Amino acid sequence: MSKEACIIKGNKHGLSISIPRGMDFAEVLSQLRTRLASAQEFFAGAAVYVSAADRDLEPEEKQQLAKTVEEFGLSITEPEADEAPAPAVESGKDEFKEDTLLLRRTIRSGQKIRYDGNVVVLGDVNPGAEIICSGDILVLGSLRGVAHAGCTGNVNASVFAFRLEPTQLRIANYISRSPDEKLPKPLGPELARVCDNVIQITAYQS
Amino acid sequence: MGKSIVITSGKGGVGKTTTTANIGTGLAQIGRKVCLVDADIGLRNLDVVMGLENRIVYDLIDVVEGHCRVRSALIKDKRFDNLFLLPAAQTREKDAVNPEQMEKLITELKQEFDYVLVDCPAGIEQGFKNAIAGADLAIIVTTPEVSAVRDADRIIGLLEADELFEPQLIVNRIRPDMIRRGDMMTTDDMIDILAIKLLGIVPDDESIIVSTNKGEPAVLDKKSVSGQAFRNIVRRLEGASVPFLALEEENMVKRLMRFIGIGGKS
Repeated sequence: MSKEACIIKGNKHGLSISIPRGMDFAEVLSQLRTRLASAQEFFAGAAVYVSAADRDLEPEEKQQLAKTVEEFGLSITEPEADEAPAPAVESGKDEFKEDTLLLRRTIRSGQKIRYDGNVVVLGDVNPGAEIICSGDILVLGSLRGVAHAGCTGNVNASVFAFRLEPTQLRIANYISRSPDEKLPKPLGPELARVCDNVIQITAYQS
Repeated sequence: MGKSIVITSGKGGVGKTTTTANIGTGLAQIGRKVCLVDADIGLRNLDVVMGLENRIVYDLIDVVEGHCRVRSALIKDKRFDNLFLLPAAQTREKDAVNPEQMEKLITELKQEFDYVLVDCPAGIEQGFKNAIAGADLAIIVTTPEVSAVRDADRIIGLLEADELFEPQLIVNRIRPDMIRRGDMMTTDDMIDILAIKLLGIVPDDESIIVSTNKGEPAVLDKKSVSGQAFRNIVRRLEGASVPFLALEEENMVKRLMRFIGIGGKS
């Protein structure tokens, strides 16, 4: 029995199998089979990345690997680098795009606005409406719905409204709602930003 | 060529059918030729509220499927010769008709009547889509409750998407005592969110339950407050400028306090 084991790791992109150098290929297949069988449903449908870091697989070994993996409903995907490819959305995380969508109307309950850039609304955002964008959100009216600024990960995004009364406010991956005790209505324009790891709302002074 | 108006709300139970019956009867009362259409297939109520349920022979689905002519299905009202009802089917479902068929039917009715009022079912699915097909105007009925306003807002959004712009609002079942106590939304709060023109306000009135059970619309009762509210709505639809019923009246003390400057906005 070989002392070595091939390392099978799961991550959000799929399953990655690392095969140590010098390991007997039959042993690899047998270990793989055991591992996959033990949690079949869990792995089902996952993409499998094989990284034989210290050795290259022979074509027939690749084929055998593919067949084994298919028995469990998985498929081999060729990795482009040693790492699984990073999702495209993370590029430009901290940059602000200049693309801005201007909406000259009230956004009603049930309407959802998604935009890659900033969103400006000349009107209200009613409860039940959602604005999701990668940049800033400016509502020149009452914001009463859900606003998600910086949705691709930009924590410097901000949300501004003449009357900031959202059901929920989200910036990047921070979520916040107003406290359960009834607050007095906002007196003027307010700006929400992430500060010290929490979304903070300040009165807006131009 | 007449006008077709759809009476809708989103939320159920806010008073669409009652409103349709009362506005229709009110318009007939002042001499207009009116046709009421019940678009709530499977859960028909307009015939009951009008007191005409035992006169139904054919219904809307029969017309749309070609079993009879529109004329044969229309039921003349008990009280007015110029008021007719096209009832819904009770034994079918909302997918028995599609928007194109509805639009064709409503257009045909508009040739003969001054007003065609369509009673829309609750919801936003097939029934709603059928009811708004062929409508020129929309009236949104809501009650002064957060959930009803939320649904009304959704409906307004859907109407705008279907190019039915500028719907008008009727606020139903207002309770002035609750508004004074601060337990109920004011009409101003609702217009703030919905941002559409206010057509009328109707107070919560026990006599409505009596009138719907009996099949005698409240608009016919001179002593009924809600009847008066509907009569005002009818006049506004015809173009008259009628002041709204003073339901949310402040009492003298409050008014004095507000004048001096104590206390917040009413």
